[in-house]
Amino acid sequence: MKRTRGVAATSVAVGLTLALAACGGDGGGTTQNAEGNDEVAVGVIPIVDVAPIYLGVQEGFFEDEGIELSLETGQGGAAIVPGVASGQFQFGFSNNTSLLIAEQQGVGIKVVAAGNSTTGEVGDDFGAVVVPEGSDIKDAADLAGKKVAVNTLNNIGSTTVNNVVREDGGDPTSIEYVELAFPDMPAAVAQGQVDAAWVVEPFLTITTSQGATPVAWNFAGTDPDLMIASYFTSAQLAEEDPDLVERFASAMNTSLEYADSNPDAVAEILTTYTELDAETAAQLTLPKWPTEVSADSFELLADLAVEDGALEEKPDIDAMLP
Amino acid sequence: MTPAATSAPARRGAAEILSSPLLLGLAGSACFVLVLELLPRLGVVDSRFFPPFSEMFAALVDELGKERFWTALVATLRGWGLGLLIAGGAAVVVGIVLGSSQLLRDLTTSTIEFLRPIPSVALIPLAVLLYGTGMEATLLLVVYASFWQMLVQVLYGVQDVDPVALDTARSYRFGLRRRITSVLWPTALPFVMTGLRLAAAVALVLEVTGELIIGTPGLGNVLAAAQSAGAVPTVYAIVLVTGVLGVGVNLLARAVERRALRWHPSVRREVAV
Repeated sequence: MKRTRGVAATSVAVGLTLALAACGGDGGGTTQNAEGNDEVAVGVIPIVDVAPIYLGVQEGFFEDEGIELSLETGQGGAAIVPGVASGQFQFGFSNNTSLLIAEQQGVGIKVVAAGNSTTGEVGDDFGAVVVPEGSDIKDAADLAGKKVAVNTLNNIGSTTVNNVVREDGGDPTSIEYVELAFPDMPAAVAQGQVDAAWVVEPFLTITTSQGATPVAWNFAGTDPDLMIASYFTSAQLAEEDPDLVERFASAMNTSLEYADSNPDAVAEILTTYTELDAETAAQLTLPKWPTEVSADSFELLADLAVEDGALEEKPDIDAMLP
Repeated sequence: MTPAATSAPARRGAAEILSSPLLLGLAGSACFVLVLELLPRLGVVDSRFFPPFSEMFAALVDELGKERFWTALVATLRGWGLGLLIAGGAAVVVGIVLGSSQLLRDLTTSTIEFLRPIPSVALIPLAVLLYGTGMEATLLLVVYASFWQMLVQVLYGVQDVDPVALDTARSYRFGLRRRITSVLWPTALPFVMTGLRLAAAVALVLEVTGELIIGTPGLGNVLAAAQSAGAVPTVYAIVLVTGVLGVGVNLLARAVERRALRWHPSVRREVAV
């Protein structure tokens, strides 16, 4: 009996070790592939905004800089900042208000390239507040006191909506914001569960085709040159490997220029990495993709976030920018 | 009596159809499809957010023509199979070891009963911290969920071994390996197979959940992409595919069970006394 028990205990130990070993592990830092290119992981949300980086991979702009990109689609945008901070991704794509919040929380963010910007045209932008058919909300000021859906509370959606409501003469503090995922907004608007919803493409095209009406253009109305999002890295990687950051930024800028001047190529690549059909993809209002990182936009978004309490205080924006 | 007599063959025909499980199953599926088609068409649900079956099917045909759908399907099946293999192998080894010692069983019961009911989904943050959004993160969920399903069955199986048979084997000086292969394993096998069938379904659920929430490549990830593109019929098309996969997994597990247990009285119905 004693012998059996000894064997049994050993087997448990062996079994557990095997089970743990099978789960595997992974290292950090950048590695190089067979051709000597740096293998770089970028955390993105597979939506319209990141079309340039997909085009850049397709057109070989990153390869030209000795970078082999893998685009990782995480748990929505919220996982990208922690993913970059922990070194799981070398770079990431995020809206600028989220980056300001992360920086203020001490994450250490370094912006490396522009992400996307508003078209600057009120009436034809890629983000807007829409209301259901037959709603009595006619303009931004009417949103005061109403229930408005945003994808994340106290972020770029609510701070810019508050701004346009304020400028239109309404009281933004009386708006009741509710958090809803963008894909759930068309049904919520159509069924009247909310009075209005802040949507971005493709849901702006989808909701308006289902009868909803845009009443406030929170990006274009805040600033015609507002930069919405950026590609960024951790302050740590920026310090350790400035050469890689520079090459990534250079390839990214080439990709942004290419996307901005080839809307047909954008519409085409959208049907490969998203589930958009070609017809909808061609109807979307695309953002602008300038290459210049706008310090003014960061200042403005930070001021709006501080005013609404989404940020306690303004972080050191100069330190974040390239 | 004449009317009854004339309708008797017809009634027998109907009775035959009603007793064929395959035909009944097909009829049930047809009714289900009909309900899916009619609910939105009659306006019971909003067809913009719940399209009729024909639209889901058209989206499905569209998906079947895409390479990324097949890549995703393979990724899902691979994650499922690998997870089940790891969980099954580990559960059999751990189960036999724990099951054959009263001391080990007493030591571990409370811990197992604590770990077993933890929903795998609650481990998602841990999985993401450990493995990021890669395949390993979802694999961890799959292995965790299916391991307990299997382990509990293996433990039952090992405890079901006839002590007289075990003593007989011992008095014939059977070695440990021989005792396991000729006495313990045949008794435990039906339980192991039940565990495998339960675990196969659970593993599929967790594989798709992990892909959907974590973003691991696979069908769940395609589902999330369809959702964020507002492609409502595609969302339902992928849901239908996961349902069909579930049916396939169950059929496969039953086939394996029948094959592994063809000597067992529960399967050898034709010679049952």
